[in-house]
Amino acid sequence: MFGYYLDLALRSLRRHKVLSALMMLAIALGIGASITMLTVLHNLSGNPLPQRSGVLFHPQVDPRPADLPGASEEPPDDLTYLDAVKLYHLGVAPRRAVMSANWLPTRLDAPDSPMSMRTDRATTADFFAMFDVPFVYGSAWSARDDESHAQVVVLSQALNQKLFGGADSVGKTLVIATKTFRVVGVIGDWNPQPRFYDVDDGAFADAEQMYLPFFTWLDLPQDYGYGPMNCWGNDPGAGTHDPKVKQCTWAQFWVELGSSAQVASYRSALKQYSAQQHQLGRFQRAPNVRLRGLLDWLDYKHVIPVTVRMQTWIAFGVLLICLVNTVGLMVAKFLRKSGEIGVRRALGASRHDVFAQCLVEAGVIGVAGGLLGLPLAWIGLWMVRQQPVSFAASAHLDLAMLGVALLLALLSTLGAGIWPAWRASRVAPALQVKSL
Amino acid sequence: MRTFRQIRPILAALRSHKTAVILLVLEIALTMAILGNLVFIVYGTLQRSHTPTGVAESQIGVIQSIGVIGQTNSGTAISNLAVLRDVPGVQDATFGMPPLWGRPQNPLFLDALRTRPAAHVYEFFGSQGLGDTLGLHVVSGSDFTDADAPDVMDVFMGKAIAPIPALLTESLAKRLYPNGNALGSIFYDGSHSLRVIGLVDHLRGEITGSTSDDDSLIYEFRVGTQNLGGTYMIRSSNAAQLPQVLRAAAAALQKANPGHVNNKVFTMAEMRANYFKSDLAAGRMLVAIILILLVVTALGVSGLASFWVQQRRRQIGMRRALGATRRDILHYFQAENFLIVSAGVLLGVAFAYALNLFLMRHFELARLPVNYLLAGAVVLWLLGQLAVLGPALRAAAVPPVVATRSV
Repeated sequence: MFGYYLDLALRSLRRHKVLSALMMLAIALGIGASITMLTVLHNLSGNPLPQRSGVLFHPQVDPRPADLPGASEEPPDDLTYLDAVKLYHLGVAPRRAVMSANWLPTRLDAPDSPMSMRTDRATTADFFAMFDVPFVYGSAWSARDDESHAQVVVLSQALNQKLFGGADSVGKTLVIATKTFRVVGVIGDWNPQPRFYDVDDGAFADAEQMYLPFFTWLDLPQDYGYGPMNCWGNDPGAGTHDPKVKQCTWAQFWVELGSSAQVASYRSALKQYSAQQHQLGRFQRAPNVRLRGLLDWLDYKHVIPVTVRMQTWIAFGVLLICLVNTVGLMVAKFLRKSGEIGVRRALGASRHDVFAQCLVEAGVIGVAGGLLGLPLAWIGLWMVRQQPVSFAASAHLDLAMLGVALLLALLSTLGAGIWPAWRASRVAPALQVKSL
Repeated sequence: MRTFRQIRPILAALRSHKTAVILLVLEIALTMAILGNLVFIVYGTLQRSHTPTGVAESQIGVIQSIGVIGQTNSGTAISNLAVLRDVPGVQDATFGMPPLWGRPQNPLFLDALRTRPAAHVYEFFGSQGLGDTLGLHVVSGSDFTDADAPDVMDVFMGKAIAPIPALLTESLAKRLYPNGNALGSIFYDGSHSLRVIGLVDHLRGEITGSTSDDDSLIYEFRVGTQNLGGTYMIRSSNAAQLPQVLRAAAAALQKANPGHVNNKVFTMAEMRANYFKSDLAAGRMLVAIILILLVVTALGVSGLASFWVQQRRRQIGMRRALGATRRDILHYFQAENFLIVSAGVLLGVAFAYALNLFLMRHFELARLPVNYLLAGAVVLWLLGQLAVLGPALRAAAVPPVVATRSV
């Protein structure tokens, strides 16, 4: 029966070419707009590190003063210097990484080499293993390098290309903030999006150009900013030049916890630490800790840009209008077939049959509209990629989204077709046949 | 008049197509709701991108000269300013940051104990010549004098004893001193006390569209032989020559400061373009969506209209046979369309405000002014008339003889 209905649907489409084309075009525009925005949303809200996201956790403690007007219940995202150091040495998690970011004047270790500012991430040895960072040359530095404040550096592929022409630079030296650093590794293509480990510094920012041991970095003669620093009190600027002050948070901290038992014990260790700091009088607030997993953390931070969320809503509004439009045109189209339907009913087709036939026709329109909408979505994504915003480059149509597009087109048109089809199936055969 | 007399028969005819009419009205109302809000957003973006900061933007260039700590450097702040001023075409130079630099809004207090912030403001500060380089318009009180400016190190260390002479924007003065007694008053930021010496018309720290954008204060400090790395600004006496003058100034500054990294050199025009580029890009996306909406709505209107024309061919023929002119038929369909669109517009006003409330709550949009709805209504009326024109002309072309066939 389906084959017959399909044949009828195609015949009907051919008979009312203009009306059918209008419906398909409307669906195509709606699908094109909504799939464009859905794809952008899908790319932005993806899991940045699928193979590791289950074991990475983001501890937070609350060192803020008890009375801070307008303060949120949530503890600060980042740690103060003191908490960063203490939690780093807590030793409960199998792996942990403390980190921050800025930029540093950097040049080749040659007399006349010009200096440039290069973005860097200061972190500890576990960073690379925890976050699954691939290496092209050499390897990460060791925990011992962290302890001894070794002057070693890991380069990104892009910076290695710029400075050393892409050659194996392990063992070469650079002058960073007037100190000599030895290259120990060059990492491959790695820039998880959203950049979960430091979303306050730009969730869709470029990856940093080089990586330095955290404690070595703190020793440098420098005042080039300390990541997205936040200070409390009446003078937000006070202390921003000294990372060790007690009222400024700026260090990100991540731990790796392999089992729920480890998570539980780490959580209690975090509470215990807070309680102890509270007793010592350093924390004015009662223990207020968080230990969010990577995906919970991204959820909490609402990393998806507000404009993207708004445009997605609007795109679905457009789809809704296209569907209302389609319902209207379908009502008209099926009404025009009243005579034909009357004859079919008179010849013995049940209401159910007429309903099914009309729905098949709606489905055909939906699939055709969806297919027509795909190139439109492709054009839409091309437009998105032309936007000078950091997340735009990642906007590509993948196989999954193609499937979603067709399914959305089919389902929404079927949904739009139900009511017109039901009306068509109510056509009284006697009245229609009489008027023929 | 004849058109108006047709209204009753039109309404009677529409009653027998309730479903299609309701759907069309709904579609127009939804279009109106989305259209009104989108145009509002796009227009707001455009307006923001043209809001002046209050400084002589076309003449200002910025040089980021970052001092490398631990590196010896021969240039000093005062010598650097002299180097910059010596570049041909440079009218003035200063050590300080331009507007749109990502300043925080710092709390200001009216009492020395700093109990409750009276406002949150953008603080501009820089070396002697800052006000002249920016080209501020002092509208009351007096401008900066070098002699009264505190020493830079006292300011940075928070050790300035006498209140620092500061200029406020008129907007901030009104917020702090609603009684108009701003001049001479003392107030406090996080670490200094300041004294109002004059008011400037405008100085916007950021352009977000909020009324607090223009709440700014500015003060100068005296620089001497310190090695100051950071942001220098020049003002070219001629806007057209700014790019060349800026390049020459940057080169001169780099030459005088071998221990600095000349990181970025840009004009304020470039800075403004960069500041708004993602907003404007989002605006272009919305314009694309607006166009799609208009096309879809036009398709819906003309699709249903042509269906109705086709369905009523016999009736049209009868009316023509009974003496109606082509013009009457044309006007009939145009009037019918006008009535439907009007109903859609009325419902659309309610929808538009509902959507606006939603956007206000979730996306910090402002309240939709009524003139956007009027404009939306006009656009939809025109669109409806345009969409119905084809089918209506086809209807008008139906010959009276149709009435006699197949009766």
